[in-house]
Amino acid sequence: MLRVAIPVALAVTCTAVSLSAQQRIEFDRYTLPNGLRVILSQDHSTPIVTVSVWYNVGSADELLGRSGFAHLFEHMMFQGSEHVQKREHTNTIQRAGGTVNGTTNEDRTNYFETLPANRLNVGLWLEADRMRSLAVTTENFENQRDVVKEERRLRLDNQPYTPAIIEGTTLLFDSTTCFPYSHSVIGSMDDLDAAQVEDVQAFFDLYYAPNNATLTVVGDFEPADAKRLIDQYYGDIPRGRDAPRPECQVTYGQGAGERVWEDKLATLPGVIIAYLAPPHAHPDTRALQLLSTILGAGESSRLNRALVRDAKTAVVSVVQMSSRRGPGLFAAIAIANQGFTTDTIKAQLQEQVAKVLAEGVTEQELTKAKNSFRAQDVFGRQTTFAIAEELQHFAHFHESLDEIHTDLDGYMQVTAADIQRVAEKYLVPENSLTIIIVPATAAGAGGTY
Amino acid sequence: MKRITFGLSMALLGAAVLPLEAQYPTTPPPAAPLRRLEFPPFQLAQLNNGLELLVVENHELPVVSISLTMRAGSKYEPEGLEGLTGFVAELMTKGTESRTAEQIAETIEGVGSSLFAAPGGDFLTISTTVLTDYVPLAFDLASDILLRATFPEEEIELARTRFLSALQAEKSSPGALAARYFARELYGDHPYGRQPSEASTKAVTRESIRDFVKARLSPQGALLVVAGDIDLSRTRELAQRYLGDWRGAAPAETFPAPPRARPTDILLVHRPGSAQSNILVGNLAMRPGDPQYYAAVIANRVLGGGSDARLFKILREARGWTYGAYCRVTRPQEIGYFQANAEVRNEVTDSALVELLSQLRRIRAEAPPDSEMTAAKGYLVGSFPRQIETPSQIASQVSTTRLLGLGDDYLQTYRERLSAVSAQDAMQATRRVIHPDSAVIVVVGDGQAIYDKLASVAPVRIIDVEGNPLTADDLIVTAVALEVDAARLVARRDSFEMIAQGSPIGFQVTELSRANGTVVYTETLSIAMFGMSQETRVEMAIEPVTMGKVDQTIEFGGQKAETHLAFSEGRVTGHAESPQPTGEFKAIDIDTTVVEGAVEENAIQALLPALLLAEGASIALNVFAGSEGTTKPMTLKVTGVEEVTVPAGTFSAFRVELTGGEQPLAFFVSRDTPRRLVKIEAIGQPFSFVLVQ
Repeated sequence: MLRVAIPVALAVTCTAVSLSAQQRIEFDRYTLPNGLRVILSQDHSTPIVTVSVWYNVGSADELLGRSGFAHLFEHMMFQGSEHVQKREHTNTIQRAGGTVNGTTNEDRTNYFETLPANRLNVGLWLEADRMRSLAVTTENFENQRDVVKEERRLRLDNQPYTPAIIEGTTLLFDSTTCFPYSHSVIGSMDDLDAAQVEDVQAFFDLYYAPNNATLTVVGDFEPADAKRLIDQYYGDIPRGRDAPRPECQVTYGQGAGERVWEDKLATLPGVIIAYLAPPHAHPDTRALQLLSTILGAGESSRLNRALVRDAKTAVVSVVQMSSRRGPGLFAAIAIANQGFTTDTIKAQLQEQVAKVLAEGVTEQELTKAKNSFRAQDVFGRQTTFAIAEELQHFAHFHESLDEIHTDLDGYMQVTAADIQRVAEKYLVPENSLTIIIVPATAAGAGGTY
Repeated sequence: MKRITFGLSMALLGAAVLPLEAQYPTTPPPAAPLRRLEFPPFQLAQLNNGLELLVVENHELPVVSISLTMRAGSKYEPEGLEGLTGFVAELMTKGTESRTAEQIAETIEGVGSSLFAAPGGDFLTISTTVLTDYVPLAFDLASDILLRATFPEEEIELARTRFLSALQAEKSSPGALAARYFARELYGDHPYGRQPSEASTKAVTRESIRDFVKARLSPQGALLVVAGDIDLSRTRELAQRYLGDWRGAAPAETFPAPPRARPTDILLVHRPGSAQSNILVGNLAMRPGDPQYYAAVIANRVLGGGSDARLFKILREARGWTYGAYCRVTRPQEIGYFQANAEVRNEVTDSALVELLSQLRRIRAEAPPDSEMTAAKGYLVGSFPRQIETPSQIASQVSTTRLLGLGDDYLQTYRERLSAVSAQDAMQATRRVIHPDSAVIVVVGDGQAIYDKLASVAPVRIIDVEGNPLTADDLIVTAVALEVDAARLVARRDSFEMIAQGSPIGFQVTELSRANGTVVYTETLSIAMFGMSQETRVEMAIEPVTMGKVDQTIEFGGQKAETHLAFSEGRVTGHAESPQPTGEFKAIDIDTTVVEGAVEENAIQALLPALLLAEGASIALNVFAGSEGTTKPMTLKVTGVEEVTVPAGTFSAFRVELTGGEQPLAFFVSRDTPRRLVKIEAIGQPFSFVLVQ
């Protein structure tokens, strides 16, 4: 269940920012002897509990010729295990009134259930059963390989602009020095076709071991009950080998590139200017994220005002920024309005970025962006699921889980000068790849008419 | 202030025993005792102007959700102005007496939030969620857009353009078409059956928007729900300050009754070329507050509420006929409906419909077994707490309860009432709610492919996507002879360049030769950038135009597809492979009848110079599309004469539009003898072919 998210945060005014709003998320953490990391966080406001397991494996861990495995695994994990029949994982959760899903990105694969609080045990047990005894069979593997292909058709290939954004931007990375980010999460269908069930088993043994996973429980439960169940269900799963971590060497400012991307479903041409950005934990990330909000999030963002509302040259114009363990992307995107060419919108995107480099951003814009981050921070802690994901995020992408308490302060301290500095460092032509999206509807072969 | 704790029957969810031994269990562990659910208490108050306030306190996070719901849904739109409430909602945030659209956006986004007005069938709702500090600002903005919106003309026109293109897009969405005609069939002249049309969207004026706002957006009968980090006195103070001067009482309305049920028949919405059929089956069901609602909801879950329900398991998992099959029971303010839906492949449309109807009959006839009752209740009871996790979810639940008049204890007793439903109750409810013998059935699909199949299930009425009635005969493509001036078809070779966004990206070479009354046309197309090349050879007789053979090879993305068709004595046989937008190749075997005079799609370009072109001329032709294996009526229309400059020179040319296929095209044919095709444009696309030599 690949999630191709287009995160659009919102932002705007000159109201003063108060630093007090960040709510403290209290938690316990410990590690089982087999290496499983556990984070428990109580919230008794509603009788609900979320069980979340993050495996420290994503598409960035895949080796050349083996792309697409991480995502294939997300599917395999719903195909049954020693004590759970095929489809019974989902059905059991549904019959308890819960929800269940999994997603894969470059750096991790996550699985989660949100259940009525009295079914915490079944959520923990279902996750434990597949961690200890996933049914890696030829039949399941072949069957899910087909499902992944179908998913690729429906979710990726069948959506206009998505392949250009998802796959086009991987061209920023050189596959010889950074294979991890030079291929997309969904991977190559040829690689999947070439895979044998033994490869899949090896992948499972290496990456789906307790010492490569973090289990988080958030909601209405008693810690003693949860700990007892976790010991009972997970305690005797054997530790695995330590997994190697992916290697990615990038050089910033290697030169400007431009590619034409044919999009068979797009009806309007588009432009993406993608800049190579630092890893999520890098000190420059916060200023870049605030800038991405100022430039490209919300109706009152610079791009929306300039291109969509004033010049009316684009139907949509936004900025997306990735949150990755390794180097990421800062991408300005515009889809042209009827009758306007990619040359026009490309020039306008470049002009907006150049303006930041030359003049920086205003205090008012910065305050507005900070307010947006502050609000999103609070809004993002309203559900047990959101809190669980937040804890996992900090456990995986930050130096320490404790940064969850101080991260927002870091954003609040960013100055307009910081923003201009990071813009000058990253948002320069020689650090970018421009993708020109050309609709190919009319060029589609066949009878054409 | 109510504080009620649920005491739900334990038997339902299994024994409350936790295993004591620390062994790994080999079956799913049983449910632990239910944890207490304290439904957040709410408090009610009323302003002097009649506005009702409802406050749900929750101080966990510094967040407040505000929603103002007014009795101003689309059911109150004057006849002929369907879609009016969409304009009202859209325009409210586009300017007030003291703020421009930009200022409204900037103000609300400046505090990290957003503000919406959303139209519904019964109600129109303004809502936002903000940090506690910004509650006064949210009230200020919400009251400003409610009381002082200016509805600027230019923003009305922008909205109109958007709504018209959305209506246009709806015509190509089988799901949207099915929903539109289902509502019309079910509700007739009742406002739930009326839908925005092109005409009604064009009829909306600033005047009509203002009249509606004045008449319907009134505090009497409106409900302001505020949930989160706030209390009643603060809410009352803010509401009084910002909404205290709001005045008015909307008149009560009576609506025409929906049509009476009649024996089941099928409305077929003919959508030529549709690869699948969208089926909707249903009938009018319940009003809010119906005591059998709980039993109906459980029965609905058993029948088609999810991927572990009967419709999904049978139609999708067991038969593989469909991508999904579900059903639902709606509960609006007026009478609601039951509806089952499935999207199926053309060839199994009848089987799927028959199976669906038989499942509707079965659930009326047999009480569901315990296993299904347990699963359905487990889901519905267990999922309830997830729907009241955040202040805005709570606000929405409480608001719905209040506006539909479901009673103050509705939410508090919801889980218990569901739990108390027996299998017998569930079956009894389906007898009231599901009526397979007097159902409305709407099927959107290719009438040519599915009419006969549907006619074997129930009587069929047919309409086109615009709603115009058709007869079964209209589905049959009638023969038209294509008149040509054979003398104009001369042997020649032309080269074209393919242009995208102003840059050349490929080429096309065509060659035509004649011998013994037979015309052979070959076409080579190559677009290196897309890794695509295509070779086509068409053989046909010219007097009269009769197709002979078509052979085509396409290489695309490293794959190769071949098409070979032979036309003879009113039949076409062969095999066609064509690339799809997904990158896959679709392969079909063809052995079907083809009407006299029909031309294969690849022959059109070859025949253009020989057609009887003149200003204003419109030429009907039947086009056999090898990629789909069907014949489609299309039209070539001369829309004018233009001066066209291409690398090969400047020509005075007829502009000839081809419509009826997926992509409308404009051909430019020079007027001087010999006539030549000098340019092809893909209408609405940045692509063209220009004659080089």
